[in-house]
Amino acid sequence: MDSYLDNLPAFVDTIKSIKETIITNIVLIGQVPSPTFKEKRRTSIFMERLAEFNVDECTTDGYRNPIGIIKGTSKTKPPIFVVAHLDTIWGTEIDHYYTIKENSITGAGIMDNSIGVGVLVSLPDIFRKLNLSFESDIVLAGVIQSLGKGNLRGIRHLLKTWATPIRGAVCIESNELGRLNYYADGMTRCEIDCNISAINGWEHKFKPNAILILNEVINQILKLRLPQKPRSRVIIGKMSGGFKHGMIANDARLGFEIQSNSDKMVKSIFNNIKDIVEGISHEYEVELKLKTLSNIRAARIKFNHPLVKSTVDVMKKLGLTPVSEPSESELSIFLSRKIPAVTLGITRGENYQQTNAMVEIEPMFKGIAQIIGVIMAIDSGVCDEE
Amino acid sequence: MKSSWLEKNTFHYSEFNDLDRLVEEKQRKNLKISLCLPTLNEEKTIAKEILIMKSELMTRYPLLDELVVIDSGSTDKTRKIARAYGADVYEATEILPDLEQFKGKGENLWKALYVTKGDIIVYIDADIKNIHHRFVYALLGPLILFDNIKYVKAFYDRPIAIGKSKIRPTGGGRVTELVIRPLFSLFFPELTQILQPLSGEYAGFREIFEAIPFPIGYGVETSIILDIYDKWGLDVIAQVDLDRRIHRNQDTRTLGKMAFVILMTFINRIKKLGLVDIKENLFNEMIQYNLVQNEYNPDIFKIEGHERPPIIEIPAYRDKFKKSL
Repeated sequence: MDSYLDNLPAFVDTIKSIKETIITNIVLIGQVPSPTFKEKRRTSIFMERLAEFNVDECTTDGYRNPIGIIKGTSKTKPPIFVVAHLDTIWGTEIDHYYTIKENSITGAGIMDNSIGVGVLVSLPDIFRKLNLSFESDIVLAGVIQSLGKGNLRGIRHLLKTWATPIRGAVCIESNELGRLNYYADGMTRCEIDCNISAINGWEHKFKPNAILILNEVINQILKLRLPQKPRSRVIIGKMSGGFKHGMIANDARLGFEIQSNSDKMVKSIFNNIKDIVEGISHEYEVELKLKTLSNIRAARIKFNHPLVKSTVDVMKKLGLTPVSEPSESELSIFLSRKIPAVTLGITRGENYQQTNAMVEIEPMFKGIAQIIGVIMAIDSGVCDEE
Repeated sequence: MKSSWLEKNTFHYSEFNDLDRLVEEKQRKNLKISLCLPTLNEEKTIAKEILIMKSELMTRYPLLDELVVIDSGSTDKTRKIARAYGADVYEATEILPDLEQFKGKGENLWKALYVTKGDIIVYIDADIKNIHHRFVYALLGPLILFDNIKYVKAFYDRPIAIGKSKIRPTGGGRVTELVIRPLFSLFFPELTQILQPLSGEYAGFREIFEAIPFPIGYGVETSIILDIYDKWGLDVIAQVDLDRRIHRNQDTRTLGKMAFVILMTFINRIKKLGLVDIKENLFNEMIQYNLVQNEYNPDIFKIEGHERPPIIEIPAYRDKFKKSL
């Protein structure tokens, strides 16, 4: 195992020597808008580029996740998955054209997740350049419908329908170099809609205000006593509503997430919030609808799992300091299916999830070397031991 | 009017996306190909163009032999960025420095002939936001694959249905439709088949470019077409649909200046060809008015109308390329 670790620093320069190709992939794919549920055009470019790089198989699964397979030397070893989500938060109306300077790329979606997807598509060429082959098949999957209401549908479907065992997985995110995610919190993402009839009448002489109703909901959520153990929290993330400054708001919407490392606690907090919503709906005589948008179950591998330990070794060898937080991404779906997996970031940047998001080019090569190192670790058997 | 040209010499970029075939044919014919990007303050787009062309058409498919940036004196980081990404960068004033110096796109294109080595030279504007390597390989396709084609011009975004009942009106931008197309219709109806004569992307053999003059400014695209048409006829020209091109939108005043220069170039050409006889010299000032605090102030744009001679007439060029007149 140590032999590949020793090679990693030299990999950085070799990867850098094909930076034109890597950045070209990032640009050609990232400039195609790909809002969740409308990833078709980006999927086509992804497939086109993979085919260009002569992967052994290039196809889509039944859910239209594009997949490329690089055949391994062993007929018995299960495949290793490398995934990056294809969807972005930006619609087609947003300018997706990138600006490249001496050490930066700027534009909508570059940090989430154009760098990740561009690097994923570049892997066949990077493997060739590094003269690497693997025992396992390497499955390169761009997964659709990950973000928001997509609720990780793409990866859920891909893993549900994959016929054979999976040896291990690496999930790639553009941001941030140094992240090492190996556990996922339980999470429920919800919306509360408040609608008040617009019809005037005596029963609405003192018409309630939808925004103030949701304000009351927030106040009551904030009064909930949340335990420090299991670690739990409610994040009030989005709010919208109303029509104009001088008019009582007829409608309003609140978006929030319940997060905890205990699924039971997520459920319990959800029930408390449901009670709050029903109570306020009854007392204020307004229509309040609580909708669940998505759910993720808490799942993890331990810090002393050989995959995590090897990943830490890889990162340290490259001079990176691993930082771990829970991640509610493709990782959680792998872990919930008992497939050892980690999520890694490629580079650093700023203005995350803004139209002027910017990433640094130089750290990217170390970020890619780290991905290669972890794939090599999995191929050497670190996920086979448990 | 020879109307079959449009059908015969109009291509779609997808007809040339077999890059292995283009490379093979290029090597068989022992051709060298140069890409030239003329620039003036293009720091936002230049890196992307260089990276994509280097990756796709130099590293992965050895179609291009060199990538050259000729800059008109950018005040932003254009030259620094272009060098950082591996282009051969020149300031136009450094090339043939003993000649009188002019500033303009045409000047850059003309001087590129001196510093590049290719048998074929591809020119593409450096402000294309949706740059893709098809912009280059599609221009090269007809030149490499068809022996009769010597010059290829791009057109964009407006697919045309030839030979079918439904023909969609097509063409270029405002200057093309309001200036060039009416002029071509009046004087050279055959040339109306060139759908976007002002597009900034074209490629051709050195032997063509070195034998024609280059106006230093906006008129260069028009004059190249007129001169090639005059010397070799329409059949050496082809046009390729490159799909979409996203670039900066110009305001009407800027387009007015562009139209002025193009008209000037055009009139000079038809005068030279003996098609019209103008008794007096043309004025060289475009006058536009601004309303400033209830007063109309003229905004005068002066065009000297300089033109470089065919570069083959320059002794230093003949020495460098071992050519004679």
